[in-house]
Formats: sequence, structure tokens, C-alpha cells
Amino acid sequence: MTRWAMVADLRRCVGCQTCTAACKQANQTPPGVQWRRVLDMEMGEFPDVKRAFVPVGCMHCDDPPCMHVCPSTATRKRADGIVTIDYDLCIGCAYCAVACPYQARYKSSDDALRPDVATKCTFCVERIDAGLAQGLKPSVDPEATPACVNSCIAQALHFGDVEDPNSNIAALLAENQHFRMHEELGTGPRFYYLWDRKA
Amino acid sequence: MKRVATYCYQCVAGPDLLTVKVEDGVAREVEPNFAAAAVHPGGGKVCVKAYGLVQKTYHPDRVLQPMKRTNPRKGHHEDPGWAPISWDEALELISRKLVGIRKTGLLDASGYPRVAASFGGGGTPQSYMGSFPAFLAAWGPVDMGFGSGQGVKCYHSEHLYGELWHRGFTVSPDTPLTEYLISCGANVEASGGVAGVWRHANARARGMKRVQVEPHLSVTGACSAEWVPIKPKTDAAFLYALIHVLLHEAPRERLDAGFLFKHTSSPYLVGAHGYYLREPASGAPIVAAALEAKETHVALEIGADGEVLGEGRLEGETAFAKLVAHMQPYSPEWAAQICDIPAARIRRIANEYLDAAHVGETIEIEGKTLPFRPVAVSLGKTVTNGWGGFECCWARTLLATLVGALEVPGGILGTTVRLNRPMSERHKSVRADADGLMAYPFNPTDAKHWSARPNIRNAYRSMVPLAADGPWSQALGPTHFSWMFLDATPPGLPRVTLPEVWFLYRTNPAISFWDTAALEDRMTRFPFVVAFAFTRDETNHYADVLLPDATDLESLQLIRIGGSKYIEQFWDHEGFALRQPAIAPRGDARDFTDIATALAERTGLLEPYNAAINKGTLGVRLGEFALDVATPHQSAAIWDAVCRAASFELSGGKESNGLAWWKEKGLATKPFPRTAWYLFPTLAAKGLRFEMPYQERLLRIGTELGRRLHERDMNWWDRQLAEYQALPAWKDFPGLWDSGPQHPFWLLTSRSMQYAWGGNVGMQMIKEVADNIAGHGGVILNTATARRLGIEEGDWLEIATPHRAVRAKAVPRQGIRPDTLLLLGQFGHWATPVAKDFGMPSMNSLVPMSMELTDATGSGADIVRVSLRKAA
Repeated sequence: MTRWAMVADLRRCVGCQTCTAACKQANQTPPGVQWRRVLDMEMGEFPDVKRAFVPVGCMHCDDPPCMHVCPSTATRKRADGIVTIDYDLCIGCAYCAVACPYQARYKSSDDALRPDVATKCTFCVERIDAGLAQGLKPSVDPEATPACVNSCIAQALHFGDVEDPNSNIAALLAENQHFRMHEELGTGPRFYYLWDRKA
Repeated sequence: MKRVATYCYQCVAGPDLLTVKVEDGVAREVEPNFAAAAVHPGGGKVCVKAYGLVQKTYHPDRVLQPMKRTNPRKGHHEDPGWAPISWDEALELISRKLVGIRKTGLLDASGYPRVAASFGGGGTPQSYMGSFPAFLAAWGPVDMGFGSGQGVKCYHSEHLYGELWHRGFTVSPDTPLTEYLISCGANVEASGGVAGVWRHANARARGMKRVQVEPHLSVTGACSAEWVPIKPKTDAAFLYALIHVLLHEAPRERLDAGFLFKHTSSPYLVGAHGYYLREPASGAPIVAAALEAKETHVALEIGADGEVLGEGRLEGETAFAKLVAHMQPYSPEWAAQICDIPAARIRRIANEYLDAAHVGETIEIEGKTLPFRPVAVSLGKTVTNGWGGFECCWARTLLATLVGALEVPGGILGTTVRLNRPMSERHKSVRADADGLMAYPFNPTDAKHWSARPNIRNAYRSMVPLAADGPWSQALGPTHFSWMFLDATPPGLPRVTLPEVWFLYRTNPAISFWDTAALEDRMTRFPFVVAFAFTRDETNHYADVLLPDATDLESLQLIRIGGSKYIEQFWDHEGFALRQPAIAPRGDARDFTDIATALAERTGLLEPYNAAINKGTLGVRLGEFALDVATPHQSAAIWDAVCRAASFELSGGKESNGLAWWKEKGLATKPFPRTAWYLFPTLAAKGLRFEMPYQERLLRIGTELGRRLHERDMNWWDRQLAEYQALPAWKDFPGLWDSGPQHPFWLLTSRSMQYAWGGNVGMQMIKEVADNIAGHGGVILNTATARRLGIEEGDWLEIATPHRAVRAKAVPRQGIRPDTLLLLGQFGHWATPVAKDFGMPSMNSLVPMSMELTDATGSGADIVRVSLRKAA
């Protein structure tokens, strides 16, 4: 069973925001809405400081809190793991934005395409579906791969089928130590962060 | 929907190859050019800046038709009173001035060109200005030395000394192979472009260790294995201590003695007066039998101006032995006091560097066996310019030399030449001088040829022998002198005058140079300024005519790509890429080539203009595709001829594809040998040596230059003359910036990748994404410092020198020294749409433009001492 997931290699990410910009163009999001963005984080105290760049966005959780609170059933989860929003059903109540522990949801009246409804990263689902329909493979063929991954200049972002043991991301997860954000909440995020090779 | 292939060359770390999605004649989206993935060293990807091109095209405040100033008074607070005019009127206005100049004479009474032109940094505007270079070539003398950032915003000392020592206008680690990299302020993750980011990410993934040495934790520091928070402007002391460890603590056999003896000037004997001992008959330097030796020979010692300083049996000491003695005092314990880095840490880094050098190992590349030395030191801006830049560049090159890591796989590479010729091929620029070293085109310093009559206002030819005298030399001189000397030309030089016509393109010196208020003051006096303008900005505020050129996605140009060029742009392929209109030009914007042709026609220069194009001014000699010189040609016809000539060259005469073919393909390449990345084999094949460690030539030209100046009572360059040392000593560099206890903080700047080179500062989307990175909204200061001063995040602060002050919001961070402040990028806009509302200051308005802070190469450093307090 296909389960799409994203992998961010924190050793590679330089915080350039190219993915953020590419996402904004590909998805035509309005000013202030960033379905993909990269946090600039500091840990420690001078002079023992670490700074890291952490791509974030919708985690396409196995058990998405946003879906459970949605009163209109606009938010759903597909069999392949992608969490979707039906803009025709969404009433813009923003419960989902409050429920999401990843602050991944937006609502903007400036969004000409999606006014006053909840929006978030879709893993470029239309692109994936159109690509698959043409026989293309996400992560291999740019036409079937999320825009942020296509754009990444550090090869930090990867996309693929986490259930396929032969996939690119399965290999990355097998070779490297990784974590998921707020894993303790039990949401089952499908966004993995690599931080070091396995010993 | 269609995808149009093009390129982005907004910064010197490009070009990036991209495609633009166009629907119904509207550019919608920038994407990587995946068709270029196999040949581009960054996988055909595009950096964040290019994603701003769509907004640039449709910017609501774009200048879309020619404009004329109606208010004759120029001033910061004067409204230019822009009035729209036709192209015909604009071109007539400009050509009338130009024709007048041609009648009067191209040079003024001081001997300076009456026409000046300033372009943005690194030659990048040339990838957008179509055939304008052919117009300038046809025109004759043009002063291109009014700086807009050169010398203080570039890697100035690296450019000059890098070319001298290893044909390295820019110097890069051989990142695909380097295993240990000491990076003194080189912010490659922000300034290295896609190729740099891509390669360094790969290098980290395979285990390269990068030690980032800088006062604040930059994005590059964030991605490094280790951050060493060094005190500003003490990098030379840190590097000297590394050398000390290699020379005085490590066993000698751990150095690459064979490389030092055979391939450097280390075994040259130096006489009592500091010059090489020479064979009496041939004049050639005498090579000792060992690396460290004192020997006596029948010899000559010849000093400056051919003066014989010694003759007969003379004792000399090898250059290497002199180096060993010279570096003895510079221990890690000594450096620790200066750099604020523990001695043990310095020693450990030196030994890690040595351990990683693989001295004695080889690697096979393309069937050739080459030394393998995967260690490098890279230097950033402010480290490589201004006082101390020479010492840092020397120390870096010496660190490579000591382990044989100079111009070999894994080591440091000079990736391009701009001062030596031919510029297209650095290996061909390797020619022998009489001393067995690489010849260098120094500007003359001998009594017969040195001249106190400069060709342009910044006087590079008279004052900076290392700047050479090629097409790039005007920009590599002391470009602030053009501004400074307008009010006070120092004794001995012809009075510096205002140019009668000043062309501006993709440059904004009123924001990007030093002491921007002083620059503005001078700009008010420029009599006629022609600015090619995308939007209004702080410099074209003083213009007389604004001309809207068709921008990045609207116009046509073919450029060379690949081979070995700036920064990390060394490829396994070389060829050409086309920039083509993805959409029709908006408004009345016009293709730059058509503007240049119209100017040539109206000024009576059509024939020399076309001849310059035929000769190769646009990057390719046209040969059998040459244009009829007597006829004006449309842009498409000109670039069709260039395309055919490029295709012909690339295919070895088999193909001559025209513009239509290139529009479809976007680019074409052929393989470029990786062995051409490395200069060492070329020197070895020619039997030449790198001039390391001893700088006899610099000592000689510096002495001669001093004599020439003093012969004319020009004593204002004496401090700079002291930089010409055969073995540079540490000087109290940080002390040069001391402004007393009232100004205890160092104010630095750092590259913002999103805004680098400034061209996209007016794009809302760039602002939005850049704000995700700390520092784009204010001044970064150490958290403990903020606490000590009672400063909270977001507080308005006043940052002041004794002369000026700016305001910025507080951004407390841990990743910065307590004595250091950081203002990212270059802002402080007050006219540029969008950017004028940022509320972000620039350190450029605080950095003084001064002779005291100008080094011998004519550069200054982006650094200033300031006070800090909460703003009222």
C-alpha cells in the first residue's frame, strides 16, 4: 500500500527558502501564506550554540487532529496518506488551524483561489495524481514530484513511498537516524527528519 | 502552457538554468531546468532569487516607459518630477549629449573620460545588457571606475593576490574532493550559489568537516561541524598560528617537502637586502640545494629599479628558512590573546588540517595521476578586503603550499582569471617570467613607464600595480577614490572631475557603497545621468533620464556557461545558454540590444559598433556569420548570428544552429576536462614555480612605487606602501578601527542569500520568505548583551559612529559574539518601492570612506565600530 511521505535531511538544509518560494509559486498562495517554510532555530548558549534550518509544513499525519475537529468533513485522509481539504465543503471555521500541532494551516481572505477556507500543504497532490496518471513516478519524475522537492538546491528534501522498501526515502530512513516532530502526540506525522548516519 | 528555457545571472555565483511556465502569455512560475541536470553542477536547480523574477516582471511600480527629469535641482528631498517621454525623445536627448562630447573630445582637461558607466558587481549586468558592451567598445574611453561596491563588497585582496599566486581571481576549495575545510568567514551557503550549496551539502553528507571561523554564526556556520567565534579582523593572527604549528610543532616530514622544493620559490636564496641572489650571467635566482639552508655563491643581489645591492660572494638564506624564522613568534598562545580563541583549539585545528592533508598520496583523474591533498582554507568578505586582507590571503595560500594543496585535487583552486589574459582560459594565462615564476601584468613602477596621469579617476594604474590594466582593472582599483577625489584630489594627480554623462545599469551605489550619504551628496552634482531602470531607486533618483530595458524574462542574450568560472562554478561541461523572452516586454520596455543599436546609430558609431560585435564583444567572434557593419540590425538578427557562431565554435565547425534552435533547446554544451580545474600540472609541465612563501616581486614593486610617488611629493599613500612586504608581519588590524570606549561594538554585515546582489530587493515574495531567516528584520546582537543593556526583542535601537546613526529593531540571538552586532544585507532604502518600507538600515551609511582605511590594493573592509543604545 502506498504511503507518501517527506524526508528532510537536516545536515543538508541551508535555510535558503527556495522550497518556500517554489511552493508559493506552484500553489499560488497569497502573501503571508507559506505551506512550506523553513524555520531558523538556535539551540544552546553562546559560545556553545547550534543553529539549524528545519523545513516544516503539513505532516500528513496518520491520525490528523485537524481532520477530527473538522465539522464539515472537508478535511479527509486519502488511502495513500495525503491529508486533503475539500474547499467546497470547508466553512472556514479554522478549528483545524487551532488543532494542528504543527501550525501548518492557514486561512486568508487574500487567497484568490481559496478565499476564507483552510489551506495547507497538499504534497502537490494534483501534480502527483496527474503524474501517476501519465505513468510517472513521484520522486523520480519532476512532473510527479512536489514543487518543494523539485526546487531543493541542497538535496535536503525527498519525497516517496515510505511503505515501499525499495523507495528512495525508505533507503534514507534505513541508513540514517531520524525523528518526527511531536511524535509523542501520537499523530503519526509522515515528515521525517534525518540528522545523522546510523552508527 | 509552455515552458521557456532561460537563465538567471543575478549574482556572480550563477548562472542558474531555469524554465518559466507561461500560460496565455503570462509568466506564472519558475522551475529548475531539469534538462540541464546532467551538465549543471547544481543539478539544474535554481536559487531562491530567481523565483522573484515573475514578480519582477509584473511589478506594479515598474518603469514602463522612458522618463525625463523635470526638476533641475537634484537632492535627497527633491522630487525629480519624472515625466514620461517617447523613446525617440529619450534617445535624442542622450545622443545629443554624446555627439557633443565626441565633438569636444572624449577626454576632459584632466585627461579623464567625459563618459562614465557603472554597473553592478561581478560582471553580472553584462549578462543582461545585450550588445551595450559593443556600444561602449565603439565609443572609446569610458570611466568605469565609479564604484558601487567594488573593493569593499568583494573579495578584493583575493582577486588581486589570488591571480598573482595561482591565477585565482576567486578561490574555492575543490569541494567535490575536499575533506577538511577551514572557512574564515566564507559564507558559501549564502554566497556560493546553487553549485556551492549543492556541492557543500554533498561534501557534508560524505563526511567533509568544515570549521567555520567567524564572529557570528552565519547560515554557513550553522551547516558546519564547528563554529569558532573569532574576534573581528583577527583572522590573520589565527591563520598565522596555524602556520606556526605546521612549521614549528609538526615534524618537518609531515609537510610536502617535495612540492615546496620543486614547485615553489621556497629554495630560492634571499640576500642580505631581502632580494633574491642571482646568477651573475643569467640573472636567474639561485636555487639552494636544500629547502632550509644558508649558502654562499658568487652572485648579484638586485633591488628596486635595477639597483645592484650586492655583488661577489654573497651569503643567502632560503626563502623557506626565512619563513620559518618569520613565523616563529606567532604561536597559538600568541594568537589566543588576539583572536579570543583558546590556544588548544587553534592547535587542534592546525593538527586536524595536517592530518587530513594526505601528504604523499595521489589520485587518478581522467587517466592522470595527480597529488591528492583534500584540505582547504576559504576566506570571506571583510577577511579578504581592507587591511589584513593581504596577510589572510598570503596565509591561506601558504597553508595550502606547505602541504602541497595548491591547485591540486582536494585543495584550493583559483577558478577564474579576470586580470590576466586570456580571461576565457586560465591555463593559457600561465606564462613564465625571468625568475621561473608565473609572469604577472603588473602596472609599471619603473621610472620610465610609471605615470602620474591616470586614465580614469580612481587612478588604479598609478596606485595599484597589482590591478593590472585589462578590461576589469578599472573596477579592481580603489573605486571609492573616484568619489572621494571629486572634492579633494590629493597632490600629484590631475584634479578629479565630474563625468559629463554617466550611465547606470543594475547598480545602486547610493545604497551599496560606503558612506552612502557622501555619495548622494556628490551625485547631486553629476550633470547628466542616464539610468536603465526597472523601478525608481536611490541612485536613479539623481538621474536625468530613465530608460526601461526589457527585463530578465523579456529579452534576448546568449552567454557562455560552464568551464571554470567564479566561486564554485567549475563544471564538467562548457557551452552556451540563451536568455529569451518568455513573454513580450511589458509597456514600452525595449530589448537592451535594440537600445544599444539605436544609440550607436544616433551617435554615428554604427560601423565600429557592428565591428565590435563581429570581433567578439558579445562573447563569440562571429567569423563567417559576421554582420554587415553598415546596417543597423534588430536584436533577433544580432543574436541569431551570435547563436550560429557559438554553435559553430561548440561543434568544431560542424553546426551553425540559429536562434530558433537555441530557443527550443535553451543551452548546449560539450565536456570540459576536470583536470583543467587544477593549475598545478600546467605549472609543472612548464617548469614554473608558485611564488610562495617569499614575495620578492611585491617588495620590489612596492619599493619602486614608493620612489615614484615620493619623487612627486605624493606622500599620502605611505601607509599603503608599507603593505608591500616579502614576508608579511602581523599588524594590529583590529586597532585600526578603534573609535574609543564610546564605540565598543563591532558592526558587521553578512550575505543574505535571498537578497544577494540587491536586484530583487523590491519583490514582496522575496521579503516574505527572507523574513524566515533571523536578522532580516533588524540588528542581531548577543542575547546576553541585550539582557545586560535592558534590550528586549523588537526594541528600537540606535547604532552610531561618531558621525552618523541608524535605527534598527533588536534581534537577540545566541550565535554572535557579545561584542559584535550584525546587519544582514544592504538595505536602508528610501526610494525603491517595497524596500523603502522595510525599516531596515544598512551599515553602508555608517562605514566611512577614508584613505586611512584603504589598503594597498585599494580596498576597504565592511566593518565599523559603533555604540548601541535603546532609541528614544
